[in-house]
Amino acid sequence: MGFDSLGVRMPLPPCATDMRDAFFVELNAIAAADRDVVLLTDDQGAFALEWLRKNLPNQYFNAGIAEQNMVSVAAGMALAGKLPVLYGIATFMTMRAYEQIRDDLCAMGLPAVIVASGAGYMYSGDGPTHHAVQDVALMRTLPNMAILNPSDAASTIAFVKEGCSRRAGPTYVRIEKGVLGAIYPDGHDFSRGFSVLTSGEDVAIAATGIMVHMALETAEKLRVSGVHASVVDVYRLKPVDAQALMVELSRSRYIATLEEHSVIGGLGSIVSEAAADYGRATNIKRFALPDKFAFSYGTREWLHAQDGLSSELVAKQITRW
Amino acid sequence: MNTGLRDRSERTAGSADLQAKSRWVRQSVVRMIAGANRGHIGGSLSATDLLVALYHSPLLRFDTRSPLWDERDRFIMSKGHAVEALYSVLASAGFFDVELLDTYGKSGSRLGGHVDHHLPGIDVSTGSLGHGLGIGAGLALAGKLDGRDSLTVAMLGDGECYEGSVWEAANFAAHHRLRNLVAIIDRNGFITLDSTEAVNELEPFASKWKAFGWEVREFDGHSFEAISDAWSSVEDPTRQRPIALIASTIKGKGISFMEGTPNWHHNVPKGTQLETAEKDVGIWDLTR
Repeated sequence: MGFDSLGVRMPLPPCATDMRDAFFVELNAIAAADRDVVLLTDDQGAFALEWLRKNLPNQYFNAGIAEQNMVSVAAGMALAGKLPVLYGIATFMTMRAYEQIRDDLCAMGLPAVIVASGAGYMYSGDGPTHHAVQDVALMRTLPNMAILNPSDAASTIAFVKEGCSRRAGPTYVRIEKGVLGAIYPDGHDFSRGFSVLTSGEDVAIAATGIMVHMALETAEKLRVSGVHASVVDVYRLKPVDAQALMVELSRSRYIATLEEHSVIGGLGSIVSEAAADYGRATNIKRFALPDKFAFSYGTREWLHAQDGLSSELVAKQITRW
Repeated sequence: MNTGLRDRSERTAGSADLQAKSRWVRQSVVRMIAGANRGHIGGSLSATDLLVALYHSPLLRFDTRSPLWDERDRFIMSKGHAVEALYSVLASAGFFDVELLDTYGKSGSRLGGHVDHHLPGIDVSTGSLGHGLGIGAGLALAGKLDGRDSLTVAMLGDGECYEGSVWEAANFAAHHRLRNLVAIIDRNGFITLDSTEAVNELEPFASKWKAFGWEVREFDGHSFEAISDAWSSVEDPTRQRPIALIASTIKGKGISFMEGTPNWHHNVPKGTQLETAEKDVGIWDLTR
């Protein structure tokens, strides 16, 4: 991708499916076309973000390790007509600056994109200070907030655009680092908030973010043992069209939810609440992280397995249901 | 001239005019709080003269007929509990009818206990302390990027400066040389329960702002001459840094038994106290 008007070329990401770089390559293009788009970071870098820092210095601000001020500054810039994009580690953004997000951005309905790195156990070995496993619950209770949780590069790119075009309040986007398999073709329509990836009438598995991939593996394992599972990727966690989601999930007798978030307040809660509201609160199992701090250190997959989350373990529990 | 436009370049009001406005505002603050049986009287009265100077000298640029005018200065009442003084000043400046003030404390009123951006003349909702300076820094940074000549002015309480986020914002604003950002600190010396110096010393307060890279002026926040003189530093074209105006004020200013005591953060005067308060602010010859 090149920009003749700026006389510089923007680097392509090292891998087309690296989700974080996919995000920032798209953001670079948006910022290059609109000088009111400004990036604020709490000292977090990314390969593709270097282009913005070097070439659009009036649109790039390292606010330092001071998230509360960064969010307030973003609110001020939004009041002045800018579109701030805030990039930082998910826990510090959502928890250290929670009140600023609530009072300064949400209460005044100001546009901003909060780009959170380190969803769930992404920073697995760094301990519970770095595990964003309550962030969805926290963001979800805030009026005017939207939450997007992409599961591959195409959805990540689409959500940069969606976040930057939303004007009714801030948008919280959880992004992954590294490579995840492609799920969606370029140009996929994400407007519904969820997508049915596989069909099956025995059990519906609603999953979000990185766990959509585990859900697809689980469905494949179930298929081998004669259980037909549908997989529904719920990438927009707020607002949710709860009625449409329940219609979709209720095509199966059993509903499972799968997420890399505390069992309190995340996708399992979203689906359970929707089921309660629409009179279908039976046969729901929530596969999520337990209500505890993970003072155990290992790879992300290892941590998942400690909490009973792997395609084998989930498939086994569904088969025994 | 029948227009709502007020510009700091056309400062017209003299001290006597401003004192009359302050007197009216103090009467209004007492009426609102007594009528609602709630409010923050001490911090409203300490901030009154500063607010009157901002809107009636005027030190700010605004248009009451067009509150969202693009060229306006932005004022943020970061100590959002001093809402009775701010709402009274905005009403007296013409942003909304003074009759609206009589609804304060009544169910369904547009006037709540903290500053609400839905009202004309208010850009930023506040209530939780420590937010306004950072929001102001964002407004000022955006203004600098866009080459605007408007000011962003945030009024903070001194007790508010216990909040760490104030100093995050101070650091950020100095780093970015936001000379279009003004912090006015209502240094009345008291928080809810005690004096600031008895609880957690703020002094040497001015030195702290200077150490963070701000220019500082200290002055009597109840003297319109002193406020105007301090404001000349705001308008100094050679100034490169954000400026902190530390206004020495008296909590409960204007009401004899409230001045300089820690008892009147959000207490409501009743009975003989109210009678004394009304006499002190001259509510009996209240004219609109």
